[in-house]
Amino acid sequence: MEKITKDKIECGLEVLKRLQDSKLISHLNSCVHCGLCADSCLYYLATGDERMIPAGKVDMVSAIYRRYCTITGKVFPALVGARELDDTNIREMVDLLYGACTMCGRCVKHCSIGVDIEYVIRTGREMLAKMGYVPESLQATVDAALTSGNNMAIPDEDFLDTIEWMEEELQDELNDPTATIPINQPGKNILYTLNPREPKFFPLSISAMAKIFYAAKESWTLSTGMYDVTNYAYFSSHPGHSRIIAQRMYDELQKMQAKKLVLAECGHGARANRWEGPNYIGREFPETVTSVELIAGYIKSGRIRPDRELNREVVTLHDPCNLVRSGGIVKEQRYILKNTVKNFVEMTPHGMDNFCCGGGGGQLAMSEYNDRRIKIAGIKAEQIKKTGAAIVATPCHNCVDQLSQINVTYRLNVQIKTMAEIVADSLIIEHP
Amino acid sequence: MHWYEWFALAALAICLISFAHHFFRLLKLGKPRDYSARAGSTTRGIVYSFTAGMNPRNKESAFLHLPTYTAGVIFHVATFLSIVMFFLLLSGLECSRLICILLTLAAFSGAAAGVGIFIKRLTDNKLRRLSNPDDYISNMLVTLFQLFTGLVLLNNGLYPAYMIVAGLLFIYMPAGKLKHAIYFFAARYHLGLFYGWRNVWPMKKP
Ligand code: SF4
Ligand code: SF4
Repeated sequence: MEKITKDKIECGLEVLKRLQDSKLISHLNSCVHCGLCADSCLYYLATGDERMIPAGKVDMVSAIYRRYCTITGKVFPALVGARELDDTNIREMVDLLYGACTMCGRCVKHCSIGVDIEYVIRTGREMLAKMGYVPESLQATVDAALTSGNNMAIPDEDFLDTIEWMEEELQDELNDPTATIPINQPGKNILYTLNPREPKFFPLSISAMAKIFYAAKESWTLSTGMYDVTNYAYFSSHPGHSRIIAQRMYDELQKMQAKKLVLAECGHGARANRWEGPNYIGREFPETVTSVELIAGYIKSGRIRPDRELNREVVTLHDPCNLVRSGGIVKEQRYILKNTVKNFVEMTPHGMDNFCCGGGGGQLAMSEYNDRRIKIAGIKAEQIKKTGAAIVATPCHNCVDQLSQINVTYRLNVQIKTMAEIVADSLIIEHP
Repeated sequence: MHWYEWFALAALAICLISFAHHFFRLLKLGKPRDYSARAGSTTRGIVYSFTAGMNPRNKESAFLHLPTYTAGVIFHVATFLSIVMFFLLLSGLECSRLICILLTLAAFSGAAAGVGIFIKRLTDNKLRRLSNPDDYISNMLVTLFQLFTGLVLLNNGLYPAYMIVAGLLFIYMPAGKLKHAIYFFAARYHLGLFYGWRNVWPMKKP
């Protein structure tokens, strides 16, 4: 790791000293070190490592705040456990804030005081990002998005080939040569997005969603200009980078003159566009909804007609943290499953208390912490096993990826599916 | 007034001025501007944050740790009552015998809870790792304050010592974690605002 310089220290401290509102100082001054958040964090539960309790991660940031921003910390640092922003602490910060937190927010709900632990951790990541200490593999993913327009650096020709291929699949399945996957068509009702994992690894989820749009007779389009729903700079927490990516999405929406932005199944993508995006660029986005909300709406209004008999296997649901705990989307995915599958069983715990799959917070992109990521996923594996389900549905492609890996490692023998795939399998298509 | 009463009062003034500074700084800085389209009610979120959001049935920090949680509640209630008692004692107002007995019991219970929390901090590895001197000093000063509140209600001769302990506590309060007397409310307010805006709170049943 590159040695810290005075300029870098200033860059990092700027984040803590920038008090544009009272939120940050409120959360930096609130933790009472009761330690009762430990059992809410999958890292501590899975590893038993005391360094990994949420309060320890908060303290990595607040101890530096105390050292540089409070009188007691400046005069008697040892008294209040204030810490210098030096190489040793930075190394520890990188390891704990990037490498030992999925930013799942589970601890926040359970904190005895109400410290927004995840927000403090994100602030710590922002300090590190500004000083240039983002783990290399995560930074590479952000750089790919910044330079190519999508986090997997898929060239446009490859993307268009995949879309064409999926369109043929769709036409075959529907037995309708007019069925399309519209691309670059301005003035549509919906601009739909994708997680780049879809064109790269899971193209069938694109045709599944296209089938739903077909059944709903929706006016929609994809765009080669910007289809990537993810924003990995939300994980690296570099404000400049996250702004560029969010701005791109906003600009594309304007260019395509679509009425609505629909976010593909991606937990952090939903958060980064629906909630953080407008704040990154300092202006409100046009109407933005997740595909989960959209599909639930289609079913409710009768625009699509699912048949539960077409999905007879036992299905359980994995709730993506960002959708549930940070987006309040809890009922919609359950409404969809109750209308599209015959046997739906919940995990324990679920909803707001669900455990992260272990792939959040950018962990899937940080190969440096692969072993840790797979180890903490043991909790999710146990949850899945106990349901006895044959299929795990989840409205998030990152979760699909992590769940697919733990499916192999922990020998779960289940199928992992997105909501769109489940819904598409249950659809009754009426041909004119 | 005796010198120890002046000492306690001066300490209280320092504490209040410092807390007022923190409070008005929070007010001046205000709440964050959110450019995302609001999905829920911030008022309901904030109300939830201070009510059902703190329900022990909803929090693992409470229901997974009932003895510690209960000790914490007793400790905090007793601290509040001891502060009320401080003003009563200072003003020379007499309270009924029954109230005196109840307050004495509350103060001693609080002190016992404080000792329990102190021992846990010393003996639990992960807590010890997390703790700094301020955690121990804060715990000790509040516990002593409660203990002396109980003792002075039983024996008026301890009044000077009681005032000195109270003064030490008040001087120390703004220096360390006891500031959470203010920041606790600010943190819960912000949490309610944040989750209310996004329609996460009030929490929905799946
Ligand atoms: S946000 Fe999740 S992973 Fe991070 S400290 Fe909290 S519980 Fe642990
Ligand atoms: S539960 Fe909250 S107040 Fe207690 S140690 Fe954890 S973060 Fe701090």
